[in-house]
Amino acid sequence: MKKRGLADFFFLLLVGYLLLPVLATMLYAFASKWNKTILPEGLTLKWLSTLFQDTDFIQAFGRSVLLASGAVSIALLVIVPAIFVIVLYFPTYEKWIQMAVVMVYSFPGIILAVGLIRVYSQIGIPMILVVLGAYVVGILPYIYQGTRNSLRNIDARQLLDAAQLLGASKRQAFKKILLPTVYPGLFAGALLSFSVLFGEFVLINLVVGSRFETVQIYLMKKLSTSGHIASAVVFIYIVLMGLLTFVIAIVTKRSKGATNL
Amino acid sequence: MSYLVIEGLHKKYGQSTVLTNINMDIQKGEFITLLGPSGCGKSTILRIVAGLTDASAGKITIEGKDMSGVQPKDRQVGMVFQSYALFPNMTVQENVAFGLRMQKVNATDIEQRVQEMLALVHLSEKANAYPKELSGGQQQRVALARALIVRPKVLLLDEPLSALDAQIRKKLQADLRAIQRKLNMTMILVTHDQEEAMAVSDRIFVMNNGSIAQNGTPTEIYTRPDNEFIANFIGHYNVFTRQALEQMLGVTLLEHCSKFAIRPEALHLDQRDGDMCIAGIAKQSLMNGNIIRTTFDGETMFTMEQLHQQQGYSIEMGKSYKCYVAKEDVIALS
Repeated sequence: MKKRGLADFFFLLLVGYLLLPVLATMLYAFASKWNKTILPEGLTLKWLSTLFQDTDFIQAFGRSVLLASGAVSIALLVIVPAIFVIVLYFPTYEKWIQMAVVMVYSFPGIILAVGLIRVYSQIGIPMILVVLGAYVVGILPYIYQGTRNSLRNIDARQLLDAAQLLGASKRQAFKKILLPTVYPGLFAGALLSFSVLFGEFVLINLVVGSRFETVQIYLMKKLSTSGHIASAVVFIYIVLMGLLTFVIAIVTKRSKGATNL
Repeated sequence: MSYLVIEGLHKKYGQSTVLTNINMDIQKGEFITLLGPSGCGKSTILRIVAGLTDASAGKITIEGKDMSGVQPKDRQVGMVFQSYALFPNMTVQENVAFGLRMQKVNATDIEQRVQEMLALVHLSEKANAYPKELSGGQQQRVALARALIVRPKVLLLDEPLSALDAQIRKKLQADLRAIQRKLNMTMILVTHDQEEAMAVSDRIFVMNNGSIAQNGTPTEIYTRPDNEFIANFIGHYNVFTRQALEQMLGVTLLEHCSKFAIRPEALHLDQRDGDMCIAGIAKQSLMNGNIIRTTFDGETMFTMEQLHQQQGYSIEMGKSYKCYVAKEDVIALS
């Protein structure tokens, strides 16, 4: 009983340690004034309202969505078919993808940024496209794991064989059997990738900077001018990430149920 | 004319030879079993017949039509897989209807045929269930219904019952045989279970190391094994060298071969006219339900099987016994 109480205490301590800065930041986004008191002196929607009236923010938000969703879409179009073909027909090549996945994790953002600038800045390609390309490669681990795990749960090769023997073409088998079956895993991987890219700062700031102002760069700028506005940006970011996490959790749960054979 | 003909089939993966010169003639409505240990190439034959794997050499014809280059979807060959391969995103009804939908059969016919097929496999009440909600036996029945509904010319069964427990497996073996007879369908079953092969087949092809070691009816295979591999794989034959058996029997055997086989149940303790005798000390006894299997140490080790009688078991361990066998039950192996 005593041990249980001690465990609960440390658990609450940990939760408090993790949540306190987040809650404080969120509260600061609604605080009318919070300088000399423990709690805010009053609450207001002024900062959020100001933020949504700022076209710079709206444009930055749009750019972040465009960049993240563009990279995810390209990854889905290019990487997913490649993973399907490799897993189903050339499984011996899978080790190369796994190696690429590890390499993605092993490159620090600063090294990557300097490398990209040195290689691409002189050859005329718009640097935002270079960042987009780097993002596509950067989310390989999430897309790969999502697709691979879904395919592993279902013996995809045998499902394809079964569908073909029942008169389906390879395309029909892929569309009617494989895609609906792996869709939840794929969707969760795509959402996860989107949330990672939406919050990315190092690469976009070093390679492109204010020429393509995303939410993260806007946030950086606002930190020096208004703490309340910066907190409001963080609040919106946290809400968005919370929503994405919620959707991922639901989709992943459904995915587990569907393939529990 | 044979319904399905396999001629000179070879398969190689790189330097490794998986199948060597496979030849089979199968009649319409026959239930054929490919029996052999794991890795002997029996599933590869099924995949080549289905068009899922290309042969390195050889020819397959179904109803006189050469299958070379014909896509799996156009072969009219059905297949039931060991892992069922049911589509997890579809209900039982949708799974069974899938093949008909691909053939663009009209909705009314699909519904009627799906109901008939589900009734045949006793799963009408599970029509709206998803595969994950069914037991292994039920999933296998759905897989069977899904394969049968498109009326394939040949149905291939790749160890369909091996993942099921013994009781359900025996029930499904009987169901499978009854359905095959009712539909007069040509079926090829792959299994490594000799009892299953004996129970359901018209003919058995025993395979070893990528080639056919022997083929024949279950009775022929069981009572006349061609060689030591078959004798060991089918049942629990006692295999003796000529020298050991001649010493034990005290006679010179006339057949020109180096090894002989005797079925354990052909040995008995009571002497009958013309019997030959081998002696041994009883070493171990194992009860296997209705059978008692006793191991004797003679010139070499051998086993005898007796039916388990109500009055009990009379052989004492460590004691010497004379076991008798009829001349015709001593089988010369090639």
